Amino acid sequence: MEHSSRAERVLRGVLITAILVFFLFPILWIFLMSFQTNEEVLRIPPSLFFKPTLINYASLITGKLQTAAGSLDLAFMLNLWNSVLLSTLSVALSLLLGVPAAYAFARFKFRGSEDIAFTLLSFRFAPPLLVLLPLSLYFQDIGLNDTYVGLIWVYQLIALPLILWIVRGYFEDISPDIEYAYRIAGHSWLQTFLRIAVPLARPGIAAAGLLAFIFCWNNFVFALILASADKQPVTVGALAFVTASGIQYGQIAAAIVLSITPTLALALYAQRYLVEGLSLGAVKG
Amino acid sequence: MAQIELKSLSKAFKTGKVLDGLDLSVEEGEIVCIFGPSGAGKTVLLRLIAGVEEPDAGAIFLEGRDATDAAPERRGIGIAFQNFALFPHMSAFDNIASALTAHGATVATIKAKVDKVAAMLKISHVLNHEPRALSNGQKQRTALARALAADPKIVLLDDPLRNVDAKLRYEMRLELPSLLRASDATVLYVTQDYKEAMAIGDRIAVLIDGRFEQVATPASIYRAPVSVGVARLFGDPTINLIPVNPQAGGDGLSCEISGAKVGLGAAQVEGAGRSMLLGLRPESLVVNDDAGLGGFPVDVVAVTPLNEKSVLLMRTRDGQEIFASEAGVENEERKPGPAFARFDPARALMFDEASGACIGSRP
Amino acid sequence: MNASAKSGGDVALSLAGVDKIYAPTAERPVHAVKALDLDVRKGEIVALLGSSGCGKTSTLRMIAGFEAVTRGSITLAGRRIEHLAPARRGVAMAFEGYSLYPPLTVRDNIAFALKGAKINARDADKAVREVAALVEIEPILDRYPSSISGGQQQRASLARALVRPADLYLLDEPMGQLEPRLRALLRGRLKQLLGERGMTSIFVTHDQTEANALADRVAVMEGGVLQQLANQTELKERPANLFVATFIGEPPMNVFDAKVEVGERVRFAVENGPRLDFSANEFSESARREIAKRARVVIGVRPHDLRLNSGSNEARVVSNQWLGDQSHLALDVAGKLMVAVAFSEMGASRRDNLRYDVPAAKLHVFDADDGKAVSHGAAAA
Repeated sequence: MEHSSRAERVLRGVLITAILVFFLFPILWIFLMSFQTNEEVLRIPPSLFFKPTLINYASLITGKLQTAAGSLDLAFMLNLWNSVLLSTLSVALSLLLGVPAAYAFARFKFRGSEDIAFTLLSFRFAPPLLVLLPLSLYFQDIGLNDTYVGLIWVYQLIALPLILWIVRGYFEDISPDIEYAYRIAGHSWLQTFLRIAVPLARPGIAAAGLLAFIFCWNNFVFALILASADKQPVTVGALAFVTASGIQYGQIAAAIVLSITPTLALALYAQRYLVEGLSLGAVKG
Repeated sequence: MAQIELKSLSKAFKTGKVLDGLDLSVEEGEIVCIFGPSGAGKTVLLRLIAGVEEPDAGAIFLEGRDATDAAPERRGIGIAFQNFALFPHMSAFDNIASALTAHGATVATIKAKVDKVAAMLKISHVLNHEPRALSNGQKQRTALARALAADPKIVLLDDPLRNVDAKLRYEMRLELPSLLRASDATVLYVTQDYKEAMAIGDRIAVLIDGRFEQVATPASIYRAPVSVGVARLFGDPTINLIPVNPQAGGDGLSCEISGAKVGLGAAQVEGAGRSMLLGLRPESLVVNDDAGLGGFPVDVVAVTPLNEKSVLLMRTRDGQEIFASEAGVENEERKPGPAFARFDPARALMFDEASGACIGSRP
Repeated sequence: MNASAKSGGDVALSLAGVDKIYAPTAERPVHAVKALDLDVRKGEIVALLGSSGCGKTSTLRMIAGFEAVTRGSITLAGRRIEHLAPARRGVAMAFEGYSLYPPLTVRDNIAFALKGAKINARDADKAVREVAALVEIEPILDRYPSSISGGQQQRASLARALVRPADLYLLDEPMGQLEPRLRALLRGRLKQLLGERGMTSIFVTHDQTEANALADRVAVMEGGVLQQLANQTELKERPANLFVATFIGEPPMNVFDAKVEVGERVRFAVENGPRLDFSANEFSESARREIAKRARVVIGVRPHDLRLNSGSNEARVVSNQWLGDQSHLALDVAGKLMVAVAFSEMGASRRDNLRYDVPAAKLHVFDADDGKAVSHGAAAA
């Protein structure tokens, strides 16, 4: 029944530890690497004991990479700024478009509504390369290639379906009676949407926004094709560490640490919403 | 002038017709209960009147104006839902005030009106709480307060007592009519509980399969239901329906029940030679040890108390199970075994078995 | 051995000092059942009655073996069973929810319960048909659970529990989802069946009408504590405390705080309300003595026991509701509603004044502090 034997408890502890080690060890290792020089990283056997150095971080922030072959310019801080700009604006635009659309799909069953919703979702599982090449040709023609606007537009392919489908589930969970009650009390449908539906779906909107942000942040291939050096996010910018003289592991590690910091901070801040949001969505099915 | 008037209102969903040509006229200040079994279309009807659902055919007149196509926020209705439908992110005060904020009232007016209705419903002390901190009874009263706060001319209540416990439901059943009358509103009240309908309604509209089978005062529906369908919905235990084949004789109709000949009284003249259902309310059956006049033999199977009554489950010689109920617990001493049942023919109802219609006039 | 297990051969089930604490190591453990002593005699039907969260379902599940007992013992037919697996306890249980095996027809579901009973196929089939007739599910015996309604599933579950021989039958809200007429019918039939075959049973319900109709004795629970275990007459006429008094009875008992004086006469005064004045000899000496110990009490009278149109107290009619076979009147007494019930149509209309009287024989007196009963009618509690 509800009692568990000693052996069960021990086994449970061992399993949990194993899983934690499996998932957390790489992160710990990267973190340690970011304080080592390239030589220390490549030392065999690797050692947990080393003299920490901030040189990796310093070179990222100053934009000067010193290697054996000479000095190299790095645009890492610009890349980081691009990532923040692209992800934030993309998610903001997606929320602006996606939340009302999600509400429409949840509340109004019109002809073809399911088909349209499904088409939007299908953007998520079509391989990006499928649309990428034609898109880059179009963008060149209409002058959107290598612009923030163009990138933000393309990022909608990532963020919009996510927001639409997660938030739609939340709107569907709100009893229509609650909205009817507000309307019958004399409020227009827009007031009802803004004062009743949106506040009640807020956890879902937060969760969806956060997820969309992470997906945008981690996107690589769109920016690789459609943006040149000064518009590139960190994911693409990291390629610069693969230099002619070798791979700069220390700098890569430091770059990873720096580039996951914003999303990590955001995730920790919104963790409450995220867990609640994802699990609620799961129950709804 | 009728405050609410429905003219051949119809509504169908993909699954079939839900409401089928409803006509109803409700006078100012009247409380009409829409009563019927689940699935009869009661809630759909309320939604049509509130304007959150559109009728397929027919018209709705509110306060004398055609409101069939009016948006819900323009109908001037107060409504309370079965599941309360409170706004979870607002305090009880804001919930109630939501009925007033749309009309540009000043903060002071809103506060005065909310305080007044809250005092009337005895929830003044919980106005700062959010719905999740309220008990079920307080939620229900908050929902009711929200429906009444703007002094609407028309109030729709969708089974508002469904989700509160029995004790509270009973208290509200006693209080609601005076609360509603105090607000001078015209009320449509949906319920599935015949006692609630009888207690609260000035009139009851019995909705069966999307049609109003009978619209009348509680007493006349109980005493003179127009059909078997209506008769069955009232009474606890429900009415006994015994198949009989009445024969005409010197002293009016008579029939055979449980192998005994039972007179149906001089007033009953129709129905000879047809298959009929004899409707006997449990409280009009008297159970004795001796046959007496017009008694028929039964086997008492079980005696179960029901509130302050005892309910006898009995079996006739034909194997039909019927109930008798007697006020007071004196008869608790009656043990299972053979006995005789008798009834006053004036209190019996006769229904045509084929059509279900009530035959002959009754007081 | 504990005391209750010794108390005679006719005890079928005995719970002694049973506690149930959920999440005992958590910050806020839930003490669902507290020091419960309960004896059920052989062939007796006992109802566990209470509102949700009162501990009745936890109790049933502990007896069935679906919950561990935190403390205490459960003895069934002379065996300690609290450590046995559910299947080895000799209990049959009907569930409130949907508990039928989906891949089996209703008939096979019911027959499945007989597998262990070593009954030949003919007898088993007969037993299934009998119990199916009892709960009115013969027409759906060959259907699958997914294709029948909730009420039918509930009856099938009931049939499955009743068909097999067991030392104890546990029924969880056995008629919760049924139509009123069917419910009334099944109450009568079930009572007959359980009585005839002497099947010891415990059923859980929140509906006192059901408890009173079916059970020989009713165990009223609240806050995990057994408030009173008695037959329904006793519960109505001699409730152990204010909780039982106002919980049992539909409509509930009318109660008022009152000051009391005992002398030549016994006088109760409700603030801003009526004065009830009785001659001292309407109460027994012990009742008078008990009442006289207190200056403040709570007095109660059941709605059916109020005498209308007699006596000297008057109250305004707030509502008069005729339900076809009875009238329910609400009177404004001391700012509260006092309910009166009459089994005839009362003529009084709203705002009329109506005279009423409380007969001493029907007056209940409770302690103002702990709510324990002081006297019922003339006699001390």
